[in-house]
Amino acid sequence: MNVLLELSVIPLIAALFSAAVRSRIVVRRTVAVLMWAQTALALYLLLPVFNGARLAMPSADFLIDKTAASFIILTVIVVSASVTHASVLYGQERQTHDSRMFFAFTSIFMVAMIAVFTCNNLAVMWICIEASTLFSAPLVYLERTKTAVEATWKYLIICSVGIAFALLGTVMIFAAGQSTANSEGSLQISQLVLNAPKLDSSLLRLGFVFCFIGYGTKAGVFPLHNWLPDAYSEAPSPACAIFSGALINCALFGIFRISQIVLASKNGHIGFEMMAIVVAGAISALAASLFLINQHNLKRMWAYSSIENVGIMLVAIGIGSGSLFLLQAINHSVAKVAMFLQSGNVIRVTGSKRLSNLHGLISFAPEQALLLALTTCAVMGVPPFGTFCSELSVLVSSADARLWVVAGMLIVSLTVSFIAVCLHVGRIVCGTPRPDYRRLPAFTSCAMPLLLLASSLALGFLFNSHVWNLLK
Amino acid sequence: MTGYHVIFPIFALSLPLLLIGVIRKLKARFQNRIGAPLYQPLIDVIKFLKKGQVISEHASLALGGASALSCAVCMLLTLSAPWLGVAHSIIPLDIFTFIYLLVFVRLATLLVAIDPNSPFGGFGASREVLLSVLVEPAVMLCLVSLAVAGKSTMMSQLFSFSDSALLHHSGLWLLAGCGLYISSLVELSRMPADDPTTHLELTMTHEAMILENSGPNLAAVQYTAAMKLAVLLGISGQCFLHAIGPLWTAGAVVQVVASCLTVVILAGSIAVIEGTVTKLRWTKLPEFIAYAVGFGLLCLFQAIGGA
Amino acid sequence: MELSPFQLLEVMVAVAALLMLGTTNVRTNLTMFAAHTTFLAITAAAVGHIRHEHTLYAIAIMFFLIKAVGAPYFLRLIMKTIEVKLDIGAYIPTPIALHTGIILMGVSYLLARELPGAYVSADATYGAAASLSLIFVGVLMMVTRRLALSQIVGFLVLENGIFMFTLVKTHGMPMAVEMGILLDVLVVVMIAGLLLFRIKKSFEHIDVTKLTELRD
Repeated sequence: MNVLLELSVIPLIAALFSAAVRSRIVVRRTVAVLMWAQTALALYLLLPVFNGARLAMPSADFLIDKTAASFIILTVIVVSASVTHASVLYGQERQTHDSRMFFAFTSIFMVAMIAVFTCNNLAVMWICIEASTLFSAPLVYLERTKTAVEATWKYLIICSVGIAFALLGTVMIFAAGQSTANSEGSLQISQLVLNAPKLDSSLLRLGFVFCFIGYGTKAGVFPLHNWLPDAYSEAPSPACAIFSGALINCALFGIFRISQIVLASKNGHIGFEMMAIVVAGAISALAASLFLINQHNLKRMWAYSSIENVGIMLVAIGIGSGSLFLLQAINHSVAKVAMFLQSGNVIRVTGSKRLSNLHGLISFAPEQALLLALTTCAVMGVPPFGTFCSELSVLVSSADARLWVVAGMLIVSLTVSFIAVCLHVGRIVCGTPRPDYRRLPAFTSCAMPLLLLASSLALGFLFNSHVWNLLK
Repeated sequence: MTGYHVIFPIFALSLPLLLIGVIRKLKARFQNRIGAPLYQPLIDVIKFLKKGQVISEHASLALGGASALSCAVCMLLTLSAPWLGVAHSIIPLDIFTFIYLLVFVRLATLLVAIDPNSPFGGFGASREVLLSVLVEPAVMLCLVSLAVAGKSTMMSQLFSFSDSALLHHSGLWLLAGCGLYISSLVELSRMPADDPTTHLELTMTHEAMILENSGPNLAAVQYTAAMKLAVLLGISGQCFLHAIGPLWTAGAVVQVVASCLTVVILAGSIAVIEGTVTKLRWTKLPEFIAYAVGFGLLCLFQAIGGA
Repeated sequence: MELSPFQLLEVMVAVAALLMLGTTNVRTNLTMFAAHTTFLAITAAAVGHIRHEHTLYAIAIMFFLIKAVGAPYFLRLIMKTIEVKLDIGAYIPTPIALHTGIILMGVSYLLARELPGAYVSADATYGAAASLSLIFVGVLMMVTRRLALSQIVGFLVLENGIFMFTLVKTHGMPMAVEMGILLDVLVVVMIAGLLLFRIKKSFEHIDVTKLTELRD
């Protein structure tokens, strides 16, 4: 039986279970357990890939290489962590929304995301990315408030238009394959990479531009990022964590595959297209860091931080290094999920998302405040956390490739965002608490963020040349 | 003077009144009544010719003179323009002469409206001028693009079935036909631009302009309107006919019969539109006219693209 | 320019879409969209006939059923449920939108001449020009209309343009892929429609310029 099917079975069972069973207690406990079972299964099935094994897939349209396997494992871990935290959260308080919907849609959403990483065919990848947009829209809509409806509408329309452009780009790349001497043409990525130098260059470039615009909208590249802060501020915190930790990786993975084709067509030289990716990444990072200075809402702030990290990952893709991209993605995902889960806790304590209402946490709930501060450091790239190592690697590689301006922009943006975020978080942590704060059970609410934080720390310590070679 | 030169003018000058009769009959059918016979407009014109006139004391010679002049120019147009599928014409008509003759007819009608110094005539004239300014580019663009693609400005050459350079440009003919049809709806003050049967003066455009006429003047004005209808519908019908490929090689008789049928069918379509569609609000008319101009632009692109 | 019947069909697809820009009446827009999509389905069948690819017949039929019959019907249902007849307006006056669409059609013809490759007839520039103009028209509709329903129609026109581009410029696109894409579009329309219903309930209007509560 093929690996894709095996990886989809458990989430689909979880989705059906959540939709069918009435009792919320049973649903949330079962789904949490099922998610960890899925993690174990994924590890078991995918570890052989790192030793060079080929896995059985439904057709030649699906392929799992080392990068894809790493991303799948990362996605599964991110979703499991968020779902576990969510199930603990929903056990402690009644929610305004139906929590079974959350678990059902998250499970189907996870299948779509895993499918994206396994695709070897450009069109099938497009279908999977579109499916992931469609299945994540209900997650934004869960709270059913006016603002949630507005955010879902913007998300759906902007991302669908963007992905339509990506379809146009896919078709153009297909046409680029057909207008050469061997007029068969192929949508398979491995075939395209092999035949890349023979592809028609103007159609390929046009196709690349459209695909970049399309998948970049989904990822949150600067001018097309409008939906991102809205969607993140309206979705519940575990859903935000999955969006930031896994969904962004899917879109960036699409860009990565296209960039592989383009890079192969130029025989490894960084041409116009790769420079475009790098420049777009640098501009996104810079713009996001400038936006961070003047923020009023906690979750929107973290949304802009995600955009900044998207910019850094785009620079990594543009340099042509898939392993750098993977490294930054892993570190960013782990730290960001911890961050979002902890922000969820803070919001529950204080009852508000507005930064002006959040202050004095340390004197009220020191464990929450300490965890908030530490996860902020993890996300913003403070040593010895893993994000520091990956961001430094990206900077060093961009300097190696002689992209001085880009490296400069990245340094400026990292500095500005660090200062801005620390200012905001500092105001949250210090000061005097308001009387209407609530206490949260310390162990259960902090367990998952603490675990992820520890993982981020471990990633930082473990980063050395052995790991680097393994990822390559 | 051959028989043809006698028959054709009589035929061409009597068909317009028949078209008006067709329109009224069909509209009556839509309103579930039998309606007047098809030759009623002819009887009406003869009746008005015999009646006396009531002329406003502020009117001058322009009232009678302009009506007669517009009727005469319109007769010239009817006998010259190739709206019946025959190429013979009294005067060689090129597209600019065609447009200017139509403008002259409109100018005469405006004079008739303004001369008696009545408020209805005044505002009818101002509305008519506004609509004509808006719709002029549409007619211009359609005809000029036909001229560009056909490499000639003589209407008889463009619209002939035998020696025209526009043989296979079906797309161009189709779009030009649509553009001319929509702009003729506005020029003729038909629905949805203006309701010819309204009795509310404040909603009138064309009818307000001819309020002051009576007797022979009214006969002239009605006949002019009928001829204008025939010519404009005929030209747009010719455009649609030229889009049909097999018709180019058919005999002359077939072409003439097809042309007459097309004009009658288009008159019927006007009746259908008047029976089913309501008049557009005044502020929505530019949007409607924009469709005609849009078709004209598309024709222009087609013509330039092929050049 | 002399057009073969097939090229005439392609041009009619583009013109029918263009006419949608000139009116803000939602029902007229939906009818014109259905007509335009029907022309496109006929074009797909014609391409299948010319190239002797029989899968294209099946794709043409599915396309017709889903996008020319199903989507306008569903949107009309939504229109009745949320009781909107007329678009509240557009950011630019409708005649100017129509003329801009026509000028963009000229621009897309110029662009299409630069693209290499032709598969259906010897000169496939008309097909590529028509598809590019459909994309422009779709984007124009999405950007300038204020009613959320019109934006969905614009999105559907955009997808039609991409489908036409696939049809004209490439051959051998697998059937499963086309089906998947159609299904995705259908699901987007349904979700958007349901969301519109919710927007109407929450906000009492579906004027997207008023969706401005979320800001920095």
